[in-house]
Amino acid sequence: MKAAKAKVIMDTGAHAAALAVKSARVDVVPGYPITPQTSIMEAVAQMIESGELDARFIPVEGEHSAMAAAVAASAAGARVFTATSSNGLLYMHEVLHMAAGGRLPIVMCNVNRGIFAPWTLWADHQDSFSQRDTGWIQYHCSSNQEVFNTILQAYRVAEQINIPVMVNFDGFAISHCLMPLTLPPQDRIDIFLPPHEPEWRLDPAHPSSFANVTNAAEYAPFRQMLSEDIMSAFPLVKKAAKEYKKATGMWDGDTIDTYLLEDAEVVVVAVNSMAAELRLSVDILRAKGIKAGLLRIRLYLPFPTDDIVKALPKNALVCVLDRNYNFGHSGGILASELKSALFGLRSDIIIRNRVVGIGGIDLTRRFMAEEIVSMMGEKKRRRA
Amino acid sequence: MLELRINGFGGQGSVTLAHLLAQAALENGQQGQALPFFGVERRGAPVRAAVRMSPTTIHAHSQCELPGYVVVMSEKLMDDAVSEGILKDGAVIVNAPYAVSVPAHPTWQIDADAIAREAGLFSADGPFINIPLFGAVCRVLDIPQHIMEQTITNKWPGKRGESNLSAANRAYENVKKIS
Repeated sequence: MKAAKAKVIMDTGAHAAALAVKSARVDVVPGYPITPQTSIMEAVAQMIESGELDARFIPVEGEHSAMAAAVAASAAGARVFTATSSNGLLYMHEVLHMAAGGRLPIVMCNVNRGIFAPWTLWADHQDSFSQRDTGWIQYHCSSNQEVFNTILQAYRVAEQINIPVMVNFDGFAISHCLMPLTLPPQDRIDIFLPPHEPEWRLDPAHPSSFANVTNAAEYAPFRQMLSEDIMSAFPLVKKAAKEYKKATGMWDGDTIDTYLLEDAEVVVVAVNSMAAELRLSVDILRAKGIKAGLLRIRLYLPFPTDDIVKALPKNALVCVLDRNYNFGHSGGILASELKSALFGLRSDIIIRNRVVGIGGIDLTRRFMAEEIVSMMGEKKRRRA
Repeated sequence: MLELRINGFGGQGSVTLAHLLAQAALENGQQGQALPFFGVERRGAPVRAAVRMSPTTIHAHSQCELPGYVVVMSEKLMDDAVSEGILKDGAVIVNAPYAVSVPAHPTWQIDADAIAREAGLFSADGPFINIPLFGAVCRVLDIPQHIMEQTITNKWPGKRGESNLSAANRAYENVKKIS
């Protein structure tokens, strides 16, 4: 038999997500619409309706119920997917904790969009970063292809340690952007992502209780285990990226992704689509004789401290571009995370930070290159 | 990397035009990207879309602020479209019933309304001008005519594709360089 070949199509980031869900052979998809995520749910619902995807679609009346249905289906042993954006993600907040604490390997796409109020439809990263403490693993993707690839890697990671994974990418800039998309042959994906076989499931034939009331002596070990197991995701994330590359030939980085970093004197740190565009900003700066490089954080949670500490060149000036606010502090959340991670480990590093692109303000390569030059000129020296 | 911006009115088919151009880039052995700007959609409101073509992976995800080509879906938008940003030597492709030109920029003109109507491509809301404009833009970008035709027949196989094909070919062969 001739081996199937990868197929290249043109499609949007939202449809790339839907095609990955199909390739992952999910069992249950609870869904509720919100811009700009809706295109994912429309495509998945259509696949289920046409029989292309053998799964159960559960339409619900809001995101709180969408995640509650995902929790129930996952506890019953199903491979589950759902997707949301912005205030939809915030409405799920309580149940996100339930999914992580219940150790349910749900995979969800969050299509990043700024938060109400006032209303905005366009991308920033306040929504996903504000869910930091829910116990979910979080990836942030910078291309349509990476969205497709990461959803499959997310299931691989989630199902090995029973922790839910959020796959984030920008609304419109990725979700509604038409780009070439390589679809690996299904048999390669099936080898990479075997069927979900949970060690435990809710089953009416063998009644048991789940997530019951606990005393402190029982509760504390559960929470400690969750904290420790989230940290154990690092090697699994790396292994999933490597195995995915072996199966499909495609690579987006593992916990981080770098560009011209080795000899860089100025390092830009960012996530999502702006981090793709920043490659072009780095090229502009290099053409001006500035030794710039890029460190894109792909795995935001658990935060890849060790890999960043190892990757940053000596005495680098690090410019963090945050597309969010860390209210109560000056600047953004990514910079705060980075400072906290590097404290005491890399006192040679200087970190500077700006908040840009809130509510979808266009982040062009030229604008970001100018921002970096301007940050280099700042007088204040702040060491990590 | 070739960058192109489409300036049009909501309802004129700018998104489909952007998709067709990105698809044509892929058919032509390149990488393509269509990135429409989505607002709160209203028929008749000014809209824009970014299109990129490149032999290598496209990393840009912003709108095209300084494109090498600006496609103006209606001559009424000419001044706004050009002042929004274009490279110093960037070219303008405009849908107009008469010859118009932009000072200091190479300008191409096509009467997309007339071609669409003649091909029977219209509804009560007006002609489908994006199809002839697709043909005209392919010609200006030196995308081979058979690639343009292939892109259309892949998207609309059969009868529907025929009138689209004839309108696009007509525009491909008749787009005029004014200045």
